[in-house]
Amino acid sequence: MLLQVNELEKKYKSHIAVKKISFQIEKGQCIALLGPNGAGKTTTLQMLAGLLTPSSGSIQFKQLNEKDYRSKIGFLPQHPSFFNWMSPVQFLQFSGELSHIPKQQLKEKINEVLQFVSLSAVKKKRIGGFSGGMKQRLGLAQALLNDPELLILDEPVSALDPAGRRDVLSLITKLKEKTTILFSTHVLHDAEQVCDKVIMLKDGEIKWDNTLEALRKAFITSALKVHTEEPIGDKLSDLPHVEKLEFVTDSSMILFVSEGNSHSNELLSAIMEKGLTIKRFEKLQDSLEDAYMKVMEQ
Amino acid sequence: MRTLYVLWKKEMMESGKNGKWIWLPIVFMIIGITQPITSYYMPEIIEHAGNLPEGATISIPTPTGSEVLAGTLSQYGTIGTLLIVLATMGVISNEKSNGTVTLVMVRPVSALQYVSSKWLGQLIIAILSLFASYFLTWYYTNLLFSSVDWLIVLQSFLIYSLWVVLIVSFTILMGTIFKGNGAIAGFSILFLGALSLVTNLLPKFMKWSPANLSEHAAILLMGQPAQDHLLLTLSFTIILCIIFFGLAVFSFKRTEQY
Repeated sequence: MLLQVNELEKKYKSHIAVKKISFQIEKGQCIALLGPNGAGKTTTLQMLAGLLTPSSGSIQFKQLNEKDYRSKIGFLPQHPSFFNWMSPVQFLQFSGELSHIPKQQLKEKINEVLQFVSLSAVKKKRIGGFSGGMKQRLGLAQALLNDPELLILDEPVSALDPAGRRDVLSLITKLKEKTTILFSTHVLHDAEQVCDKVIMLKDGEIKWDNTLEALRKAFITSALKVHTEEPIGDKLSDLPHVEKLEFVTDSSMILFVSEGNSHSNELLSAIMEKGLTIKRFEKLQDSLEDAYMKVMEQ
Repeated sequence: MRTLYVLWKKEMMESGKNGKWIWLPIVFMIIGITQPITSYYMPEIIEHAGNLPEGATISIPTPTGSEVLAGTLSQYGTIGTLLIVLATMGVISNEKSNGTVTLVMVRPVSALQYVSSKWLGQLIIAILSLFASYFLTWYYTNLLFSSVDWLIVLQSFLIYSLWVVLIVSFTILMGTIFKGNGAIAGFSILFLGALSLVTNLLPKFMKWSPANLSEHAAILLMGQPAQDHLLLTLSFTIILCIIFFGLAVFSFKRTEQY
């Protein structure tokens, strides 16, 4: 185990941003922290990054007893800002020196991370003239500088255009093999693309902490669409395993089936037994989006 | 120590890039040398002002070099104080509002190291500007008036420097408390102005006040024996600076606006 979070809480004068959350992160995992705006994602990440002091609760980093574990993590804030008068090399030099990286090693490391985020061509230019996507990539570069054991990324792609988004997501996918990643997003699709585990937050509480696969299994009732030649009427009202029926037109309807997809054949023959001629029998796409909405409404 | 050095080096470079290393010394030098030059040409200035009745003669005694330097110190006390406040006010609040402080504080940097780097950085620029200005003024004073011993000038400079330390410490403290530069500058000037005013109004009760420093320095320049409460003022100013600095570190840590 890399990190153990226990009953972590952050109170402000008027409200509680994060309410006694507990979770753990295993080495090598890629975890997405999901939730709507204002759910407490950024507050949680900032506490993990050592920028905010928790009101109560503890964060235990491996077997490390030192309180300051900031040299073991890399953090990319939501809107990374740099000293605009510096060049990427100067900024990374400054950051690396603050992290006590030995001089010779630092020089190589700077070239390596700039290469990785493809900013080598502009390494001597002023950061002030950079685009949002370039700044995000430079932010990623500074987070990687100290070979972090845990990489914390706060909304790494939210502010980017589609191309920048794809760049950063593919960088994260590459990084997955090397290090443990925790990143926050409010876009489910991003989480699905790179991560295997999700933690869902709402109003400062954890609503879900498990793999995406488990989420699919637990929440997706599959739906079937049936289109018949004859009007259906109430012929299908007593089918087995069907939780809910919904008419689309007179002769087509959607059946919501419980317990996954195991009964579709059974259903098909049951429908035919009712004397209906089937024009189309279709399994509707499982939607993670729906599962997400269900978890959030719990 | 190494972290502090890295942060401080960045402060120095930044002050170079944004021109603080140029404008602050230059403006200070102008304030300084204006004093001996206007004093020297005062009779001519009055003569050319013109509205004197026919036949009137005024005789202005030529001031001594020490008097001119003491006058310079009082110039520093007003415009100089304002300049140092303006140069120092944004150093922490700007980094907080544009977010650059975040990428510093994710590194293993303590609040003490961060605030110290700001304090040291600003102090060095302010003291060096004052030094350049004061010694340039001394040079002109020696040319135009009677000469003053350099050792005395150095002593008066050192005493007066403590006032600069106080300005920087208090402005840095305000910078950790308030977000807007207006509030920071406003409260700093209010405090320093009120301190000087009260010290002038109630000299008996304010012997400890740092605002007495320029008077102590002036007395030293005149070659008079030091006042009894010199030590009291010095030690009290140093204590105040330490308190303000400590509070600044505490308040920076508490607000957590990284």
